[in-house]
Amino acid sequence: MAKAKLAGSKPYYQIVREALRANVVDGNLPVGTRLLVSAVADRLGVSRPPVKRALDLLVAEGVIAPLSSQGYVVGALGGQESPARTNLHGLTLDLPPELGSKLGQPSWERIFAAVEAHIMNCIPFGTFQISEAGIGGYFDVSRTVVRDVLSRMDGRGLIEKDRSSHWIAGPFSARMLDDAHEVRRLLEPGALAAAQPHLDSSILAKARGEIDAVLEGSVKLTREAVERLETDLHVKALRSQRNRPLAQAVQLSQISLVINRLFYTYIGLHEENEMLREHALVFDHLLLGDGHGAAVALRHHLDADHERARARLKVLSVFDAAEIAPYLTRIH
Amino acid sequence: MPQRPKLRVIARSEVLPRRVLEQAASELPFDLEFELIDSVKGLQRVVTSPESFDVYHQWHTVDLIWTARAIQAIDLKRIHNGALIKNHAVARRSDSRAFGSVFNQLFVQPSGTIGPTPTDQIVMLPLQHGVDSFAFLPAVLKEWPPGTPHSWGWMLDKRLHGRVAIMSEPVLGMIEAALAVEASENMSFADVGNLSIEEIDLVADILLRKKKLGHFKTIWNNHHEAARSMQRGAVLQSMFSPAIATLRSQGVPVVSAVPQEGFRGWHVDLCISSAAQGEQLEAAYAYLNWWMNGKAGAVTTRQGYYFVLPDLVRPHLSAAEWDYWYAGKPAETALTNPAGEPSVAPGEIREGGSYLERMARVRVWNAFMDEHTYLVRRWREFLEA
Repeated sequence: MAKAKLAGSKPYYQIVREALRANVVDGNLPVGTRLLVSAVADRLGVSRPPVKRALDLLVAEGVIAPLSSQGYVVGALGGQESPARTNLHGLTLDLPPELGSKLGQPSWERIFAAVEAHIMNCIPFGTFQISEAGIGGYFDVSRTVVRDVLSRMDGRGLIEKDRSSHWIAGPFSARMLDDAHEVRRLLEPGALAAAQPHLDSSILAKARGEIDAVLEGSVKLTREAVERLETDLHVKALRSQRNRPLAQAVQLSQISLVINRLFYTYIGLHEENEMLREHALVFDHLLLGDGHGAAVALRHHLDADHERARARLKVLSVFDAAEIAPYLTRIH
Repeated sequence: MPQRPKLRVIARSEVLPRRVLEQAASELPFDLEFELIDSVKGLQRVVTSPESFDVYHQWHTVDLIWTARAIQAIDLKRIHNGALIKNHAVARRSDSRAFGSVFNQLFVQPSGTIGPTPTDQIVMLPLQHGVDSFAFLPAVLKEWPPGTPHSWGWMLDKRLHGRVAIMSEPVLGMIEAALAVEASENMSFADVGNLSIEEIDLVADILLRKKKLGHFKTIWNNHHEAARSMQRGAVLQSMFSPAIATLRSQGVPVVSAVPQEGFRGWHVDLCISSAAQGEQLEAAYAYLNWWMNGKAGAVTTRQGYYFVLPDLVRPHLSAAEWDYWYAGKPAETALTNPAGEPSVAPGEIREGGSYLERMARVRVWNAFMDEHTYLVRRWREFLEA
């Protein structure tokens, strides 16, 4: 049975560990550099526990060595006796997007998207119990952060507490799709019409060209291609409208994209000509500068796609084994 | 090395009694491998690995497996008596309630979806259909004044506390429970075959309470267990007609109810895997066409199933069998079940009457509901309570 890859599933200590190892190998972190947990955590913009865990693992790998006094040193044991007290902020490190760039971002925000994706990717298959301690261990964050994340998800209606006070997610119901669709068909066409005057016609022409390429068969219809086409219309084209609350509301209503993605992953891509032609129609209106027409065409597409997503959700509901995050336990 | 092709068939155990398996094996020029799966595992296999089977005897999931493209369109022109199927679909439009989803989810439409307008491509070859209801032992009738019409409400009636059995299958079980709740709570659902979340909750809560009170004696998984359940003290329960044939052959005086609220209709049809090609595909068509000769349909008639084209099974039935099963007349002689054991005594009349009389009393068709995942969550809660 096909297994879906978990998006953004790597625990933080692994990200830290790999980033540090790579920077040592590339020489960005020279042999002899002293590494203190607090300084590394500050440089990478993460909390201390994952850094501590990563450093211990790197010791086991022989990439760094513990110092008898304090902290660690880059290089194998017995190398440098007097480590260099370098200010890590002065070093140019090659860091993955998860690290470094999110200075000052609240802890809950860093993992919210990952937890949300894990939950959305499993609830079409059933009902799951969420372990608070499990999330804490998985992302190396405190209970406070975990509770913050979960209460925000509760606020969005994604999870709920059962009678014995366990957090429960799912199942993804046809009703959820219906409700989200009702909101989406009211908001997204308006958002697109508002974005239209600001859209760059060369980018529109390129997106339109991609659709033709797939329809004509010169570009193969792959999951990546579909993902690109969906992003062109439902994410990129909307970006230039400036109403942030509207953008957030639209994004929250786009849950059928998850169903489509899971269907392509588990069942596969079939002929998607209807979807492609609906997309093409929206772009044709945009290219003509007709925001109102684009909104009408988009609403037609959303309605048609809703029916497809409903049918696909039914198929997903017979699945037993989705790949699930370790802090989730299937209960039904 | 070219090998003798082997056709892999998935079905529930009810629809393929041993006599049919033996007939198919002896009459078809290739090997057959039957996998009889009574749980949702069969459907999971079909949807997730079309390459692992060639033919599937589907029941109430054709929309879903077509969406998944786990099956391929069947060329009606390659099916013996295919034209009859098409004519039948048109003729049956006037009885659309009686034949419901047998024909309205049959043809591939030009848009690629499935619908009732006849074309030369079908997604399934209709085979067997019928109506189900609960069944009971005569002892039950002591609880109600003589002449009381049978009602689904009896399944939840306090008078039968501890003596009722229900099936474990979530889709069919929930439909029957919903019919019982409608009758016992004096209410009605908009569409019993497609319950909303609130309606599922309402039915599930009642079932859970009843189970905790000890109302249900057993929950059965297949027709063998259904028969055993009645031998062991259940006096009223969900029922599949093969179990009735079994019980009667053992002398158990089981009565198949004709509920005033109507029957639960069902159909079982043949689908070809989307992965079947070449020799496998040829063998699949041969298997479909073998069914169209009516012989196997005659065997399953003896366990109460109707065949999509009754005229094709008639030559393989005795006049007495035809009169009892299809015409609704008293059995002229003793009749046997598919295993050859006597199961209908002379003079008996089939409950509910003739073919058309029975089919016309369908209240709801088996259907995979939109809120299936939610339904399964609540149903498992009921099973595990």
